[in-house]
Amino acid sequence: MNSTYAKLANPYRIWLYVLVFIPMIALVALGFTNLTSSISFNSLSFTLENFDMFGEKSILVGFRNSFTFASITTLVAFVIGYLTAYLVYRSNFNNKFGIMTLVILPMWSNLILRIDALANIMSENNILTSLIGFSPFSNINGTPLAVIIGMVFTYVPFMILPIYTALEKIDNSLIEASADLGKTPFQTFLHVVFPLSLKGVVTGSIMVFLPTFSGFAIPKILSKGRIVFIGNIIETKFNYTIFNDGALLASTILFLIFGAIVLLRRFDKEGETLL
Amino acid sequence: MTNFPKAQIEDYGFKHRAYLKPLLKWAGIVFFVVMMLMLYLPIIIIAIQSVNSSVITTRFSSFTLKWYLNIFNERELLSAIKNTLTVSFIATTLATILGTFFAIGIFHLPKNKRSGLMFLNNMPILNPDIVTGFSLMIMFRFVMELINLIIRLFNPGASISIFGLPTLVLAHLFFTFPYVVLSVVPKLKELDANLVDAAADLGLKPMKALIYVVVPAIKAGIFSGMLLALTMSIDDFVISFFNTGAGFDNLSIWIYGVLGRRNLTPSVYAFSTLLTLVIMVGLIGSQFINKKGKTNK
Repeated sequence: MNSTYAKLANPYRIWLYVLVFIPMIALVALGFTNLTSSISFNSLSFTLENFDMFGEKSILVGFRNSFTFASITTLVAFVIGYLTAYLVYRSNFNNKFGIMTLVILPMWSNLILRIDALANIMSENNILTSLIGFSPFSNINGTPLAVIIGMVFTYVPFMILPIYTALEKIDNSLIEASADLGKTPFQTFLHVVFPLSLKGVVTGSIMVFLPTFSGFAIPKILSKGRIVFIGNIIETKFNYTIFNDGALLASTILFLIFGAIVLLRRFDKEGETLL
Repeated sequence: MTNFPKAQIEDYGFKHRAYLKPLLKWAGIVFFVVMMLMLYLPIIIIAIQSVNSSVITTRFSSFTLKWYLNIFNERELLSAIKNTLTVSFIATTLATILGTFFAIGIFHLPKNKRSGLMFLNNMPILNPDIVTGFSLMIMFRFVMELINLIIRLFNPGASISIFGLPTLVLAHLFFTFPYVVLSVVPKLKELDANLVDAAADLGLKPMKALIYVVVPAIKAGIFSGMLLALTMSIDDFVISFFNTGAGFDNLSIWIYGVLGRRNLTPSVYAFSTLLTLVIMVGLIGSQFINKKGKTNK
């Protein structure tokens, strides 16, 4: 009986092998070749010259920017995301699911358009000053702060959702037991609730860190091109069809995420808490 | 009987912090409202810009609805919208149907095989978009080169480009499948295992039982998977950016391309606002129907 249904997984296994492994191998391999603009088999030769790139200052600055900004964004998103999730979890709303829908709803409208709207109200003369006379973020367009604000409020729903899911799963009798054993509410939170929600925090942090680390649209629009992320460099290489350099940089990012996946596997054996 | 002093709970280190409670509550409410405002700020700004009669986005001139009518005159915008919807529709439909069957297959695998496949399944979600996009682009280019090699055997000088709709749909399928699988598998876990056996006892063949018994039982999971797939597909920028061909722009790519060069037509804001309104009405409506269904029971 079971084996009849298990066969249904076979096409998906093939699909995953083809589209997960082959492109990745191609990506890593391309970084070691001389193929640039056109990918053809005629003039293929292997080289390590591409690695010279890592001596260039612009590349190192790109990695440094990506890492610093992604870390700060993840940290800020964790603090405000945890607070939001916790507030909804402790609140006595009848329809908590509805509140969570409200949190996701902004993600339905176009990302680039939302970032552009943020960039608009971050400039000196903007639509809010012209309409109501003041704007909370006027005149920070092009600064690191603008990039961080933009990234935090774009990706914080990815932090709120997993944390909220983890919090909802906590058995209420554990909290009662902790109170019975004489813990104050704050101690209960610190020793019972928070450790149990850590799974959600890890998932959320990864979901925030990865897109901010590798993104290129938000820094480009909100810093007016002044702050260059590693993603921007890859985008430039792609636009000028320097595929081997782009592939080498992309595979470097790929190796960085292995750390993240190992982390996730330690907390989550089945790999099903992503949602 | 001596009168011993009665111990108060304060003697045990208890501190009355009840006065803090309303304070914390209000701080929480203020924080939550500010948070929601910040999440909705870009959408509010887009809505304001959509009714601004001036093309310049930094100044509000006067209220107008002409940009809403103007959507149908913007050819580039219309074609971008059409491309986005075409790709998302094909990808979401295929991902929902096939993904459901894949999820059922994965669920019935032995445990060790299942966790291995789930790990692979999560790869597209965990992989940064830029890596997925770039690596798929390279693979598609290799495939295109191979196809062209074969074509040139028969017709020297000819070549075709597969970049555009086909590559975009494949790329979107690649990152929407995992979301469908991830939403369906937990529902399968909740499913009573006897259900399928009962169907078999009543004479249904396994594949028929799947369609008539299992699928209806997990339809909530299928629906949320479809919704997630659609969300991810419609709003995707990075992966599409690398895998699209010349002239086949989806909405995000088109906006990103226009941004640096000239002013966006306010009709884009109008379209986005309309979309947000439709989704809001749909969500509120579905909540309303849900409530009504519950009270009827």
